[in-house]
Amino acid sequence: MKPQEPIPHNYEMRKLNLIFALTSLGLLLVTGIMVGYDYVRGWKWFQLEFNRIQEERIEQELKAKNDATTRGRLAEIDRGTRAAQVEIAKNRDAYLDAQKVLDEWEGKHYAADQDYRFAKATLDAQRYVYEASVVQHRSDQKEQQGKFDELTARVHNLNLRLQQATRDRDAARARVDKFLTRIKELEDKKKALTADAELLNKQLEAVSARSKRMVLNAPMLDFINPTLKIDQVVLNDLFIDMNYMVVPRVDRCMTCHRAIDRPGFESKKEAERLAGELQRELDANRIQPSKRAETEEKVASLRRLVDAPRDIPNPFRTHPKLDVFVGSASPHPILEYGCTVCHRGQDRATEFGRAGHTPMSLRMERRWQKVKFPLFPGSWDYKQRNWGYEVNPFLETPMYPRQYTEAGCLKCHAGQVDVREGEKINKATHMVELYGCHACHKISNWRFTGLQKPGPSLEGIAEKTTPAWAVRWISNPNHFRPTTRMPSFFYQRNMIGPAVPAREREQNVRYQDAEIHSIVTYLFDRSTRRQWNAGPQGDAGRGKQLVESIGCMGCHIAQDTVKDAKSGAMRVARRDDFPLERHFGFNLTGVGTKTNPAWIFNWVKNPKAYDKLAPMPSLRLSDSEAADITAYLMTLQKPKFMEEPLRAPTASAVRELAKSYLIGTMTDNEADAKLRAMPVREQMLYLGQRSIEKYGCYSCHDIKGFDGLKPIGTELTIEGSKTLHLFDFGFVHEYQHEEGHKEHILHNVPSWIYNKVRSPRVYDDERTKPYNDKLKMPNFHLSEEEGRLVTMVVLGLTKEKVAANRLAANDARMRAIEEERKIISQRNCRACHVVNHTGRAIAPMIADSNFLPPDLTPQGGRAQSPWLFNFLKDPTVMKIRPWLSVRMPTFGFNDHDAATLVAGFAAEGNGPQFDTHRFETPAQQNVAVGREVFAMLRCAQCHSVAPVDPANPPVPNVADAQSLAPNLTLSKLRLRHEWIADWIRRPGEMIPDTRMPANFPRDPETGGFRSPLAAAIDTPAFAAQKAALLPYFESEEALRKTMGDAVALTNYLRDYIWSIGINQMRNAGTTPEGPAPQQQPTSPPVPALQTGEVERRPLRAPDVGGRSGRRSTTQTRR
Amino acid sequence: MTFLKNFVNVLSVASISFILLSAVFAFVVYFNLLDGRIKSKGGIGFIVFGAVLIVAGLFVTPLLYCGIAYFICLWGLVKMGSRLWELKVGLWLLIGGAFAFALSLLDPNFYLIAAKPDNVPIGAMIFLLGIFTWIALRKAYINDKQIALGGMTFEKTESNEKLFVWPDLVYTEMLCMIVLTIIMIVWSVGLRAPLEEAANPTSSPNPAKAPWYFLGLQEMLVYFDPWLAGVVLPTLIIVGLMAIPYIDTNPKGNGYYSFRERKWEIGVFLYGFIVLWSFLIITGTFLRGPNWNFFGPYEYWDPNKLEPLVNIDLSELIWVKALAMPLPKLWIIRESFGLILVILYLGLAPAMAKGPFRRFYLKMGGPRYYVGAYLFLTMLSLPIKMVLRWLFNLKYIVHIQEIFFNI
Repeated sequence: MKPQEPIPHNYEMRKLNLIFALTSLGLLLVTGIMVGYDYVRGWKWFQLEFNRIQEERIEQELKAKNDATTRGRLAEIDRGTRAAQVEIAKNRDAYLDAQKVLDEWEGKHYAADQDYRFAKATLDAQRYVYEASVVQHRSDQKEQQGKFDELTARVHNLNLRLQQATRDRDAARARVDKFLTRIKELEDKKKALTADAELLNKQLEAVSARSKRMVLNAPMLDFINPTLKIDQVVLNDLFIDMNYMVVPRVDRCMTCHRAIDRPGFESKKEAERLAGELQRELDANRIQPSKRAETEEKVASLRRLVDAPRDIPNPFRTHPKLDVFVGSASPHPILEYGCTVCHRGQDRATEFGRAGHTPMSLRMERRWQKVKFPLFPGSWDYKQRNWGYEVNPFLETPMYPRQYTEAGCLKCHAGQVDVREGEKINKATHMVELYGCHACHKISNWRFTGLQKPGPSLEGIAEKTTPAWAVRWISNPNHFRPTTRMPSFFYQRNMIGPAVPAREREQNVRYQDAEIHSIVTYLFDRSTRRQWNAGPQGDAGRGKQLVESIGCMGCHIAQDTVKDAKSGAMRVARRDDFPLERHFGFNLTGVGTKTNPAWIFNWVKNPKAYDKLAPMPSLRLSDSEAADITAYLMTLQKPKFMEEPLRAPTASAVRELAKSYLIGTMTDNEADAKLRAMPVREQMLYLGQRSIEKYGCYSCHDIKGFDGLKPIGTELTIEGSKTLHLFDFGFVHEYQHEEGHKEHILHNVPSWIYNKVRSPRVYDDERTKPYNDKLKMPNFHLSEEEGRLVTMVVLGLTKEKVAANRLAANDARMRAIEEERKIISQRNCRACHVVNHTGRAIAPMIADSNFLPPDLTPQGGRAQSPWLFNFLKDPTVMKIRPWLSVRMPTFGFNDHDAATLVAGFAAEGNGPQFDTHRFETPAQQNVAVGREVFAMLRCAQCHSVAPVDPANPPVPNVADAQSLAPNLTLSKLRLRHEWIADWIRRPGEMIPDTRMPANFPRDPETGGFRSPLAAAIDTPAFAAQKAALLPYFESEEALRKTMGDAVALTNYLRDYIWSIGINQMRNAGTTPEGPAPQQQPTSPPVPALQTGEVERRPLRAPDVGGRSGRRSTTQTRR
Repeated sequence: MTFLKNFVNVLSVASISFILLSAVFAFVVYFNLLDGRIKSKGGIGFIVFGAVLIVAGLFVTPLLYCGIAYFICLWGLVKMGSRLWELKVGLWLLIGGAFAFALSLLDPNFYLIAAKPDNVPIGAMIFLLGIFTWIALRKAYINDKQIALGGMTFEKTESNEKLFVWPDLVYTEMLCMIVLTIIMIVWSVGLRAPLEEAANPTSSPNPAKAPWYFLGLQEMLVYFDPWLAGVVLPTLIIVGLMAIPYIDTNPKGNGYYSFRERKWEIGVFLYGFIVLWSFLIITGTFLRGPNWNFFGPYEYWDPNKLEPLVNIDLSELIWVKALAMPLPKLWIIRESFGLILVILYLGLAPAMAKGPFRRFYLKMGGPRYYVGAYLFLTMLSLPIKMVLRWLFNLKYIVHIQEIFFNI
């Protein structure tokens, strides 16, 4: 071949090689970085850190387990073991001999066993041969038979020999064991003592196996069996709605929150609380004896946590209240509910920022944002608690900030009035109901539909008060009554605040004056003008006593000032100085200035005469009582309020505002002409009507002519699901709150809502809007806590649907209970009674606890339904506690409400609503035995057994302790048959502060009841009773046994009480009750002003079987 | 710095930037590629145009900015002259552009747009577009110079050389592959995949933008009726691109770069591609914000910004505004002015065939000429309509609601 000439290369090879080398190294480096990014994950650091913390904790526990007493006992056991071994050594020869004999016998036994088995096998084979020869009629039958018989005998002998050998061997073994028993005992004891420590050691090993871990978790090997892995819970039925499909919820929070469902890592505060609770249970003997030691150990462990130098840091803490949330025995175990169902957030995220953690406050946000995550986050970042916070702008459901966590309860518990362990959410929903948010903002949710209007009816306002008062009141309700629920509509920050220019401010004031006066003019013009006759003259002093004793103070407050807890000085009262129940009725201070004696007299005697739908019940006052109360209330005056100067409305302002409404339907000139033709008063009437429509007064108050109008507020049914960009933040990021401090608005939904409810017009700051377009929501002057609670409810109203089997309280029994509780909330029963362990707001007002209204927690199991129904309808049918000055009012329940209450209580009691025990006669001997037991236990000391007229029982001498127990003859009609025995056994458990003694205390060991009569029956004091009882028992032994059986004794008592009960009581229905719901208003409809306004919708048809209270217009059918 | 940002913001306004871009493009073609002279008629024309801008700018300030920027560009281009195509100058231009871009990234508003993972490739593509256009034109310029001196094109020179496939081709290809892999890995690790929230039919993002390859069309929708901007024009673009080989009969420039020999073809294509299509895409990506309002590159995307949309049809302009008469009911009368204008515009093709473009008509023959001419006229209708919109707030030249046909 021709030698080729060298062809020139286009590039220098050396340079290319160099570039190749460098780029290859670069590629290696970059690949390493890629693997690094893939492999180095934040959650792995959290898991490693948690392992370290776990180690610390286990070592702490081990140290505690290994304390002096344990060590001492272990040393003792070791000594015992050594002593036993020394014993053996002393008798070593005997022991060895016995051992040798045993070995021999073992051998012999083995041989005998083998011989026997082999012989048996041969026999079986021979049997087969023999049978075969018989069947086949072979000639050697006889021979085989002979062999068979021989073998049978041989097997039998061998068996006997085996049995003997076994017996001998067992005897030898027993002899050897004698030496060893002691040692075995000690070893068992040692094992028992060190069992816990062994467990802990095993745990420690599992947690801290270091080198093994490093290999298992190495970058390319961690697909096999890593120890660091994502931990998740897949919930198919609690799905997430992705708008075009549903996906299962996959919660990965526990990847970093490792100990969330593990007890032992509580925060100090939680450990303190839990330890206290468990200790209380131990002290009250409520723990089963088999579990006592365990509980005490747990308390000790918790105390160690509290005393530890450092608090367990988040995210490694146990969830608080593990028995209610997250724990496997709780109603919300983590494997069935996950985390995001309650806390929201991005379920599948494994990084702090992406998961949607939301800061609680500006300070927290700043702390989280302080350091931005570097390009490659490392463990040093996490150690400094730099979590890499970033706002995920696309996450539609970020987590609730911690103060609003209970908002997540509502999506499943919205069908409940009381959520167990949900104090905050219960208070929040109660607050929303009481302050009336549902009245202006439709919430299509069971909890907030079918509720009464929060404000009083204004249809008769002219009979009650004067226009001068009304104008001043509407201008600034807080000024007259600092604790009022009525919000301030006028002169708010978007009218006269610092952000409003001065010239506009002056115009706004004129407009607001005009609106207020027009509204008042309209209301008084349309008001009814019935005549109320004044009652007799009363005594204010007696009236004051009455007001403070018959129960007014349960629903009403009568003070303006309270003593400040910190400084001790008197200051203006705030709403949160009193429990919510006492805000149900209005604060009585100043009522004398507001209204007149004739009205008050007739109102307290019969509220329903003034307003058919008034929630205030009748206290069955006599004329003189009512007169006294009237006299007292008239002394509560606020003259300074009426002396404040009133600005008169300017005609120009009225005209301009009226025109602004008119030009919606006619031209400028026409409007001017029309207004010129209207006198000022007519203009004001027109403006008043339009202003009432504008501000939505009819949502909270009944006003004639405004029935059936839609509420004016935004519908809040799914407000919690509204995405952030739909909330109008306006131009404001921080502002000066009316309380004086600066508030910051974070750019998230909870912050928007919180600031909205605390300062509703703040988003109008620095905006230019025409007057009628300005924000209208009135200012409720919510405190910080109130604001947080209301925000919590709004956040919880989401569009997420939960499957019916996951909803709380969804079975028939719970629905009955919840309907009952709803009525209780609407009629404010908790003002006086404890219902389901909470309530009785009136308690601080009554000095002697014996005079408190009864605790209704056990009422369901306690009261018979027919009696309860009659009692609710008319409490005078049976006066069980005639010594109470607090009287149960006549609420005027209609049949539907009373039946709902009765059904609810019966459901609570887990029993049938009606039974026929009342018609039974107990056996004669039961009654007799019961009578004797009754005498022995001296029940008559407190309980009278003389039959009385239940409607008019004799009023007892209250200084006499004996008289403060219900008359037992009333029990047959009132109490449930099975309940009586249960009550006698454990009154303190049912009603903690009852005066009824516990005649049958609990036995801490068995958990049953001890009977005091077991020992007492033999004492000479009861000799007579013993003699009387003997005929009814087979023997004295049987008698003694019965006397020791608490259940039997209480049953006899019950039968006795049943036998002395009266059979008849007066039925309700003879006293006037509240109106049936289907009543149309009887007055003619108000003629609409012919000013070209849109035709009003017709009156709504009333619901069948509706409630007896005033309904707000947001009711929907269910 | 704020003044500079405001300057750029104002310059970026679609009308201003389009005028600037078209004028500078024309100047580059005239002066740097075709070696035009300032002192000639063409050169004077460019300067007069600039002067008109300045004068108009005394009444309308953005035009003043435009004029200033225009003269700055002109001065730079004139200074550089043919050195614009030197490697060193090209490198400096690239560095300058990258520096300006990096400096802009310091502005938070610009950063939000440019660093969005979706938009990073678009930014890269703008650079690539500039680089490759410049390289091609440089090669064309060099070739033109060679051809003018009577020599061979460099492709011919180069094609006499021989090289080995290995290592000169394959080895270098592999090196490029490695480098590209490094870039891809670094990019994918550094910029997260732009995953947003699951699509919610009740909540559309604002602005709702098409992918970048359709942003040109979405931007055209501002100026044209959807039928034209969404169906007719895209179809004609594609059909036109397919038809180019049949219309273009110029035998010159086969296998070698040249500008002079294919002035019209390259010029028209570059105009259509860079000044029209790419400009529309860049505007759509970077300069259109919420509600499809215009925002400068350093301007905050305020969703509440309101600009009055007071666009008016030609028929309304003439009948209602000028003649103060109510609009006629019959559409043929109402739109007569618009229809006449359109017919006159379409009649430009035969008119040009008789006049200035006679040369082309003869060379290409009737069918080719007319197809090419009408495609060209359709392409030009876009900048014409845009300018009419900016000058007169013109909405539709022909607005026939009855048959849903608007131009």
